[in-house]
Amino acid sequence: MATTTTETVRLTIDGVPVTVPKGTLVIEAARQMGVMIPHFCYHPKLKPDANCRMCLVEIERMPKLQTSCSTPVAEGMVVHTATTVVNEAHKSVLEFILANHPLDCPVCDQGGRCDLQDFSHEYTPTTSRFLEVKRVFPKEYFSALIETQMNRCVQCLRCVRYCDEVMDVKALAPSGRGTMTEIKHFTTHQLDCEFCGGCVQICPVGAITSRLDLYEFRPWMLKRADTVCTYCGDGCHITIQTKGNDLIEVNSAHGAGRNNGDLCARGFFGYHATTHPDRLQSPLLRRNGELVPATWEEALEFVAETCIALKLKHGPDAFAGLIASRCTNEDLYVFQKFMRLVIGTNRIDGSARYGHINGVRALRRVQGTHRWTVAFEDIVGAEVLLLVGTNITETNPITGLKVKEAVKKYNATLLTIEALVPAIGTISNIANLSAHHFSVHPERFGNVVLGLIKAVVEGGLVAQTLTQRAPAYVEAISQTLRAIPWETLESVTGATSQALMEAARAFVAARRAVVLVGQGVLRTPGGFGVATNLLDLLLLTGKHDRPGCGLAPLAEENNDQGAVEMGALAEFLPGPSDLDDRAARERLAGLWKEELPQRPGATLMQILGDARAGNVKALFVVGENPIGSLPRAAQAKEALERLELLVCQELFLTDTARLAHVVLPACSYAEKDGTFTNTEGHVQAVRHAIDPIGESRPDWEILSALSVLMGYPIEYGDAKEILKEIRNLIPGYGLLGPAPATPRSDEAVVERYLREGYAEDVGARYQLTGAGSFDMAQPATSSAESDRRDAGKVKDGLQLTLVVGQTLFHSGKLSTRAKGLMEVQNAGSLGLNPSDADRIGVTDGDRVRLVNQAGEMTTSVRRLDRVPEGMAVFPEHFDEEARRLLTVSVDPVTQVPYCKSAKVRIERL
Amino acid sequence: MPTYEKILLKNMEMPGYTGLLADYERVGGYQALRKVLGKIAPADVTAMVTKSGLRGRGGAGFPTGVKWGFLPKDYTGPKYLCCNADESEPGTFKDRQLIERDPHQMLEGIAIACYAIGAETAYIYIRGEFSLGARILERALAEARAAGYVGTNVLRTGVNIDIWLHRGAGAYICGEETALLESLEGKRGLPRVKPPFPATHGLYSKPTVVNNVETLANLPYIVNRGPEWFASIGSPPKSTGTRVFCVSGHIKRPGNYEVPMGITFRELIFEHAGGMRSQKPLKAIIPGGASAAFFTPQHLDVKLDFESVAQAGSMLGSGGVTVMEEGTSMVWAALRLMEFFYHESCGKCSPCREGSSWLVQTLRRIINRRGRMEDLETLTDLCKNIAGRTVCAFGDAEIAPVLSTLQYWRDEYEELIRAAEPSGAAELVMPARH
Ligand SMILES: Cc1cc2nc3c(=O)[nH]c(=O)nc-3n(C[C@H](O)[C@H](O)[C@H](O)COP(=O)(O)O)c2cc1C
Ligand code: SF4
Ligand code: SF4
Ligand code: SF4
Ligand code: FES
Repeated sequence: MATTTTETVRLTIDGVPVTVPKGTLVIEAARQMGVMIPHFCYHPKLKPDANCRMCLVEIERMPKLQTSCSTPVAEGMVVHTATTVVNEAHKSVLEFILANHPLDCPVCDQGGRCDLQDFSHEYTPTTSRFLEVKRVFPKEYFSALIETQMNRCVQCLRCVRYCDEVMDVKALAPSGRGTMTEIKHFTTHQLDCEFCGGCVQICPVGAITSRLDLYEFRPWMLKRADTVCTYCGDGCHITIQTKGNDLIEVNSAHGAGRNNGDLCARGFFGYHATTHPDRLQSPLLRRNGELVPATWEEALEFVAETCIALKLKHGPDAFAGLIASRCTNEDLYVFQKFMRLVIGTNRIDGSARYGHINGVRALRRVQGTHRWTVAFEDIVGAEVLLLVGTNITETNPITGLKVKEAVKKYNATLLTIEALVPAIGTISNIANLSAHHFSVHPERFGNVVLGLIKAVVEGGLVAQTLTQRAPAYVEAISQTLRAIPWETLESVTGATSQALMEAARAFVAARRAVVLVGQGVLRTPGGFGVATNLLDLLLLTGKHDRPGCGLAPLAEENNDQGAVEMGALAEFLPGPSDLDDRAARERLAGLWKEELPQRPGATLMQILGDARAGNVKALFVVGENPIGSLPRAAQAKEALERLELLVCQELFLTDTARLAHVVLPACSYAEKDGTFTNTEGHVQAVRHAIDPIGESRPDWEILSALSVLMGYPIEYGDAKEILKEIRNLIPGYGLLGPAPATPRSDEAVVERYLREGYAEDVGARYQLTGAGSFDMAQPATSSAESDRRDAGKVKDGLQLTLVVGQTLFHSGKLSTRAKGLMEVQNAGSLGLNPSDADRIGVTDGDRVRLVNQAGEMTTSVRRLDRVPEGMAVFPEHFDEEARRLLTVSVDPVTQVPYCKSAKVRIERL
Repeated sequence: MPTYEKILLKNMEMPGYTGLLADYERVGGYQALRKVLGKIAPADVTAMVTKSGLRGRGGAGFPTGVKWGFLPKDYTGPKYLCCNADESEPGTFKDRQLIERDPHQMLEGIAIACYAIGAETAYIYIRGEFSLGARILERALAEARAAGYVGTNVLRTGVNIDIWLHRGAGAYICGEETALLESLEGKRGLPRVKPPFPATHGLYSKPTVVNNVETLANLPYIVNRGPEWFASIGSPPKSTGTRVFCVSGHIKRPGNYEVPMGITFRELIFEHAGGMRSQKPLKAIIPGGASAAFFTPQHLDVKLDFESVAQAGSMLGSGGVTVMEEGTSMVWAALRLMEFFYHESCGKCSPCREGSSWLVQTLRRIINRRGRMEDLETLTDLCKNIAGRTVCAFGDAEIAPVLSTLQYWRDEYEELIRAAEPSGAAELVMPARH
């Protein structure tokens, strides 16, 4: 991070003395005192390029006018921003810029919010002296999502610089020279990039615009709502702009939200999902085996009556509930309260169970927090970043931008443990920025973590204070690791002990080190153990309680963290407190004026198992879709088919909703108010942008209405009232401020862990996984041996590890309803390393069959350099067929169902 | 005709001189390198160059020793030397001859400069069209490497000096030193905003010196014959040494003439270059490459040194002296140069990008008898609005021909405008009413 200097500089701007930090640019110093110097190419996010020459100012004792966007302040400097000379300069630069401009403002989507218009209005006369022929670029097709109008371009290169400096994508470049300079992308086919929309947002004029809403609006006609994106755990601020009840566009202003105005494709282009024509318009009730429209009264009464009858007959534990983390905190809170008080059961679970819970449980176990002890600012400010099992660009793009900023702007050292390998592609690849990248089999990231810890304990890098404080703990870890010889570690990780040692040293040497652990670990077998080991790494190196250091598990869904804190999970009460935490129960009972159910909760897989066994009779499903998310092997369908009552609150008729007895149309995030809690534990306001679609209602309101019908009214006037109740109960929900106050680790918990807590599973956690089986860490190195192996494979296909995961362009299944995102990716294809593709003789678009004991699927191939040999990746958003091949195993401690990979044989069709 | 001792063209003008290593060694080549390597402290070499008064021959005329002195002192990382061999200024062709005819002379200069500034790597950035020069340099480099003048452990002194040749791809702007660096780095050749200067943030953001071919070629002689000797040539104290002037245009003997700085234009043109090619008298001189303001016959007695030419309102620039005879249209001459600048403006900054296109179109219009009197004011205004407001010196360069021809030959502009066909002019007014 920029060494936060306290040194200041005094200068005078337009006669007013100002004091600003050393290094501040004149343009920023002026802005701070309310003086806006006109500019095009300057943007605070980008390195100064000073190409437009718009921001000229007079600085005393300098012979020429200076560009204020590239001149840092100096002690005693005297700046004039509005003298005759300066005004003349602004006027003349604008005259130049306008010379070749088509002046087609009436048909430009930027009209009304265009810097060129605004500055022209301020500085130029209404007629032009330019009598010559304007240069005209022939219109070129750019992309389905992004429109370019190069005649309007002022060549400020903000788009190009953004795409490189911030995104690390480098999809754009100026081409041609002089007035014939055009912004283009490479190659002849249409733009293929991350589609973050950043170039659209940062273009000061209408040269790059979105095609999703081309010519549909004039900016001043739009209504704006500031809210939070629902597509991943990063929790980006977005402004949804609407016309009537139509979503016109989404953007995010510079400086806004935790994302600082940056977005990814999902946030920028994915907004149409919520207004898809397939949205449920009214409640559906199953009559004669078919789901038919019904009124809310009919539907709710049916549910209430059936519930009352079932509860009488089978008791409250014949009920269970599942809720998606896409819901607001208010929905989640009311859901668990409804299940606990109205139904009387703790048998509830949610999508955090798919993996996020592993990180939360590890944090609670070792340091007594359920949230990060770091914030995004600490990522940007870190000296070392360790990324484990996260293809961060695709799962958490904005957290990824923080990592890129740390590395590219502030020279942080990046260490990565991931299956994907560094390779240039059409989207950015965090491994390309890594100083030490360890590419390992997707289910064995933990082995490299063991290697790093071994390097720490055997390289004399353990913090002295810790050795004194917890000698037995250090010894226990050292001892188990001594039993693993370096040769074995090297052979299963493909990393040399030297590389591990170097990475460990870099980690230890850093004053500020942040460890980011992603779904690649949290959603694979052993995830809980690896997350715990990463905390061991922080403890051993004396960093766990240092400011700016900590473990940050990346939440995949936008409100995974909120679901945990609202207690909408099997093991938690709101807080979260453990279900059997006496004090917490009493506090809750006092507040709710009602006793809490005593019997234990049930996790997703237990609920499904119990349903299959006939022990769960009724299931409430709010936004969750187990049939669409779990592999066939999990037998979710078989379980749900046995239910006597399945109630789904949904936006769409999902695979799960199709089986329901009652489907209740719910509002999307764009139609309701509330809060989301992002991956770093920041609570942010969700505000409705449009009226509810059809007869849909917010989830909490539906549950509240049901509670009334069932005789245990849980009533609130609006979402704010729910938040008020949450505030009384859960710390951290008081202020929706600009940056989260990060919790500190609880030293009493740490002490307990160091004394005894670690011991119960230290032996198991410090074991190599998958040792001995085929290894993809050293692709085709020993060529003779692997050639022989390959020769055998090709005949009857190739053995690969199939990994089904998140891609940049989608989020779950919801985004597959967004027309913008479907333009970029509308079907699944199998990503294969080009060498593997060659082995079976396939190229882009060719079809292949994947087979294993569980089933088979066919799909097309896409050659991807970043996929390592021996692995194949497939997007989970289109995994209908792929799910047939996947198997499930359940974490013995956290009950997380691991179901993201499988061994398969691949053959060409 | 007075004769002067030549320095840089001396070897190549000897009969039978091929420029091969053996020839160069025979006339004392690489002795200067032997003299400094490990024997004279690098700082003392820099001091020697400062003392000689050598100024850059690339265009700006910055004192070479002073430039070297800007490199950070207590810095131990890599530094670079870049030899600017992009010579693309219209009317300038001296570097080409120095490269093609006596490549080792400049290589020795590069090696000495590397040693002085502590650079282990030098890049020669050569204009893309110089394919013969590139081949000759590659061959010379191979010879020098084989003989141990270039490479690791040069002359067994433990000093490493590696020299690499990089060919440009046809952009005038890549001669501007920071655009050159960008291009060397594999990027689009666009000038950088200064500060920071190459001395601290040059190639790959490392301390870097950029020097012209001719500048560097002088170094062996300054070492061999001493800075005092060099400083006594030309018009000391500010313009020392010789310059290779590239004389072209309507004269009898176009070509490169190496003379001490300080002789007059009259002497250069009428004695050395043989005078005008025909009976027509001299009308105009471009004194220092396309970027320099035009001179008139009144300037014939101006001395060819940095100060005198600057004082007379132009610049010595790259040493390209173009002579035009009576009968040449000065508007046409300005247009011709403006076409060049319009073609070559990189487009990075608005005043130059848009200004060059505006200027060229207006000049074209005037030449085509479609001008209007107001155009002259607009032309002046545009030039004024470009001057000093651009990222690189190109902006200041492109306006020189327009402003100076307007200054001295305004009547020619007016005459063309008066000859404008009224209908044409009227037609053109229409689309301007936005
Ligand atoms: C537009 C432009 C083009 C230039 N072209 C050249 C060139 O072709 N060769 C050259 O030596 N210097 C050229 N220069 C000057 C260089 O920027 C730089 O000043 C010079 O190479 C420094 O070397 P010197 O100090 O030895 O003269 C150019 C400058 C500008 C602004
Ligand atoms: S949308 Fe594409 S081209 Fe534009 S900034 Fe993002 S990645 Fe780059
Ligand atoms: S497209 Fe927009 S952002 Fe890009 S260079 Fe042109 S005006 Fe600037
Ligand atoms: S002055 Fe002209 S050539 Fe120089 S940077 Fe600006 S646009 Fe490019
Ligand atoms: S904003 Fe300063 S030059 Fe463009």
